[in-house]
Amino acid sequence: MDEQSLILEAQAGNKKALAELVKKYEKTIYSFAFKICRNPDKAENTMQETFMSMVKSLKQFDGKSKLSTWLYRITANHCLMEYRKKKRDYVSIDDDDALISESSIADWSSIPSLSIENNELRKVLDEAIQKLSPEYRIVFLLRDVEGLSTEETGKITGLSIPAVKSRLHRARAFLRKEISQTFKR
Amino acid sequence: MKHKQVTCKDVMHHVCESLGEDLNSPQCVAIKAHLDECAGCQNYFKSVEATIDFYRKYNVEPSKDSHDRLMSILGLKDSE
Repeated sequence: MDEQSLILEAQAGNKKALAELVKKYEKTIYSFAFKICRNPDKAENTMQETFMSMVKSLKQFDGKSKLSTWLYRITANHCLMEYRKKKRDYVSIDDDDALISESSIADWSSIPSLSIENNELRKVLDEAIQKLSPEYRIVFLLRDVEGLSTEETGKITGLSIPAVKSRLHRARAFLRKEISQTFKR
Repeated sequence: MKHKQVTCKDVMHHVCESLGEDLNSPQCVAIKAHLDECAGCQNYFKSVEATIDFYRKYNVEPSKDSHDRLMSILGLKDSE
């Protein structure tokens, strides 16, 4: 059964169709939630909240956007709400000159090829992205990691296209600089 | 997941799209001329690409227990 038929069946109360939809997007949503919060328990909690919202509001889903876009939006909003409750301070990334200074443009080709299975590299990536405020983190993850378009990312985050591009540029530059500094040590 | 090799044209599209310019605009032509000659810029774009690639490849999946808890919370345990 294709996705549209599954949605219609699930909206009509077919539990098997609903279970199929959940299974189809479970890995995507868990992985996206993990990439935002870098914590398995929080990722599981966010995944549960996302699918509970989906089940509750599925009848209102009108199919104008993709189901995946709708789920990404619920997940992103849930994560942003959680972060706003904590009111943690994040590194400011408003200064372009500091992000792209000549001294930070090291040649990475001299760095030995690193596998993502390397735990040290995973730790570096976790630490770098956690310094980035969630508003920037979500744009980077949706656009660059999940591969969504600038327009889709804008719809999910409620940002204009120039704002998505600006946040993406700064997030990329910040993460590159953080990783580069770790390699230099 | 395997990602395609990034070409100079991809980089130019990316840079010019960020600037809101088309590939043949005077600003993009000037940027291309600079990029062709500048090792620093080439290193910068390569390292940004490597950064994105690291995060793309860093994937995790929910455990079987996480899956079971989710289906149970949603009341779908018997519908799988």
